[in-house]
Amino acid sequence: MSVFSHFFSPADIISTVEFNHTGELLATGDKGGRVVIFQREPESKNEPYNQGEYNVYSTFQSHEPEFDYLKSLEIEEKINKIKWLPQQNAAHSLLSTNDKTIKLWKITERDKRPEGYNLKDEEGKLKDLSTVTSLQVPVLKPMDLMVEVTPRRIFANGHTYHVNSISVNSDCETYMSADDLRINLWHLAITDRSFNIVDIKPANMEDLTEVITASEFHPHHCNLFVYSSSKGSLRLCDMRASALCDKHSKLYEEPEDPSNRSFFSEIISSVSDVKFSHSGRYMLTRDYLTVKVWDLNMETKPVETYQVHDYLRSKLCSLYENDCIFDKFECAWNGSDSVIMTGAYNNFFRMFDRNTKRDVTLEASRESSKPRAILKPRRVCVGGKRRKDDISVDSLDFMKKILHTAWHPTENIIAIAATNNLYIFQDKVNSEMH
Amino acid sequence: MGVQRYMLGKGGKRKFDEHEDGLEGKVVSPTDGPSKVSYTLQRQTIFNISLMKLYNHRPLTEPSLQKTVLINNMLRRIQEELKQEGSLRPVFITTSQPTDPLGDNFREAQPAFSHLASPSIHPTDFVSTTPLESCLTPASLLEDDTFCTSQTVQHDGPTKLPPPAIQPVKDSFSSALDEIEELCPTPTSTEAVAVAAAAAAAAAEDSKENSSESNIQKPEGVQESRTSESKLMDSLPGNFEITTSTGFLTDLTLDDILFADIDTSMYDFDPCTSATGTASKMAPVSADDLLKTLAPYSSQPVTPNQPFKMDLTELDHIMEVLVGS
Repeated sequence: MSVFSHFFSPADIISTVEFNHTGELLATGDKGGRVVIFQREPESKNEPYNQGEYNVYSTFQSHEPEFDYLKSLEIEEKINKIKWLPQQNAAHSLLSTNDKTIKLWKITERDKRPEGYNLKDEEGKLKDLSTVTSLQVPVLKPMDLMVEVTPRRIFANGHTYHVNSISVNSDCETYMSADDLRINLWHLAITDRSFNIVDIKPANMEDLTEVITASEFHPHHCNLFVYSSSKGSLRLCDMRASALCDKHSKLYEEPEDPSNRSFFSEIISSVSDVKFSHSGRYMLTRDYLTVKVWDLNMETKPVETYQVHDYLRSKLCSLYENDCIFDKFECAWNGSDSVIMTGAYNNFFRMFDRNTKRDVTLEASRESSKPRAILKPRRVCVGGKRRKDDISVDSLDFMKKILHTAWHPTENIIAIAATNNLYIFQDKVNSEMH
Repeated sequence: MGVQRYMLGKGGKRKFDEHEDGLEGKVVSPTDGPSKVSYTLQRQTIFNISLMKLYNHRPLTEPSLQKTVLINNMLRRIQEELKQEGSLRPVFITTSQPTDPLGDNFREAQPAFSHLASPSIHPTDFVSTTPLESCLTPASLLEDDTFCTSQTVQHDGPTKLPPPAIQPVKDSFSSALDEIEELCPTPTSTEAVAVAAAAAAAAAEDSKENSSESNIQKPEGVQESRTSESKLMDSLPGNFEITTSTGFLTDLTLDDILFADIDTSMYDFDPCTSATGTASKMAPVSADDLLKTLAPYSSQPVTPNQPFKMDLTELDHIMEVLVGS
């Protein structure tokens, strides 16, 4: 297990975590607009304990705070989402976005440098021509590895509201960006033009009762995408049907359970994240209290529903008052779509095995997890009976929340963002470390 | 009276604390007889929290649209419920809804409220949201209060409401609240109150004592408060919201009667039935009451650049004008 953290400051709060398509790289974004990229060390027989560990590869400032002078509003630099592009050549590319502006970054390595120019010296300054007495052929000399990050494209002015999702299409040429009311389709090479593919802004804003909360392209079919709403529904759209996908192809919605009806029914049903399974057959959604697996072929109800922290159902009023009820928890599939993971409070995160229906609560904390230690399952007790090591609902720390998690695309390695700490856990089955 | 009002403001908070654990989340259907009280209580609490949330957010940052929409839906839902409950008294609806003579004051105030509720989201977009917000926001609360405390007042405008019908029946919720109030220690000093609140209290006391005189003073008071408000409107930056400017001098709207269901309870101990205050006297106080109701739920201290603070100082001014005259 690895832990990366800084001295705590609000800017250090991790706001997104994302593995690249091979799992070799892991990127995090934070509230301060920085992106940190971790690279998995190549396996080495000499250092058995060092194999597969992730170390910092590069850090760069992706977004800066801005000020909208027309509206007198600050535009935060916080990185809302990072998405890796499929690797096309030696360089890696990723998209990062704050509330308004999406940027395409190219990450390249340099481990050689040219030496022996005729007209320039080592530092690149022009030589005094009188000293040049002979001509030589410049050569490439090895040097310490340098990672260069350069901004390649800036996709600005496409969003009036806050961007909540970006998703790269399987055609590898386009991507979409979603804000509260609209979804735009961009070509990765064109920054001055985007196509509006969803617009749910009512003619009269007083009629607005629903917003887009998350959106994603289908992993295999480049014409399909899904978006979730604050009313708990999912809409699957087919871009072949029309240029503006205002009419969904499929609407996934579960009728409200009358026994659980409360003032907060709508708020807790608001979908905070939606993810297609790797197979493309299922969709995973997270709302405040549950994670649900939907079959693309069944619109009426989810095929599986898992309770993340049902014991909070009796605390909703307090959670509404302290704004926690609006926390946007994300969710993740493992590489084989058999296990799902999502975060909770008190630095807990939950895993659900879809086959065995077993679930586990784990804790990401410095105190309880030393490198190569095994995570101990935690339990939150609700009633009077309390076992040793159980945590009572009342002692949960709602400031320590795990909103962002990511699962390695093929292996059992997970990355957990707990406030300003990044925890990387590895399954012991795959190697001798955790 | 002012002291009592303050106590009520406190009582609002205390009642929330006391019932928090037992009630929250476990919302029962409004039709469940025995738990109707707790249901109404929770509804009031949630209503107050929701209003607070709409007003309180970090200055200069754009509030999350998702959050705003969800909170608005919450308020809308509560309003819808109240509407349904209100429809049991058809007199109100038939008399008030069709006429609904919104005074100029009220119309002017609407943009201010929408601005308050969603202060920064795309002016072009959100100016149009006015009716939504205004029907949910303190406008109705204020007017409701006016309504509650001034039934005996003859409204200046073309009032269509039959005064006897307005009298809210003291329901079980109200009496429950009264019991809660009795349990609460009565604060004997207003030291802890915000300056403006104290001023409002003083004004209220005055108005009570001078109630006989106030009738005579009324026309002047009305005039003055109006002019001072319009002056404020002109001189203050666009971000300023004049909560007192809403049509407290105008006729009651449907919302007034509806919201009476929840808010009259706050003032039930008040000599509601024998209220002798005048509209001009009572309205600013009611604005202040709203503030007090909201204040306990505020997690952050009110900062100078938040609208309410400005309101308080301006309220003071208005109060001085009214009381001093």
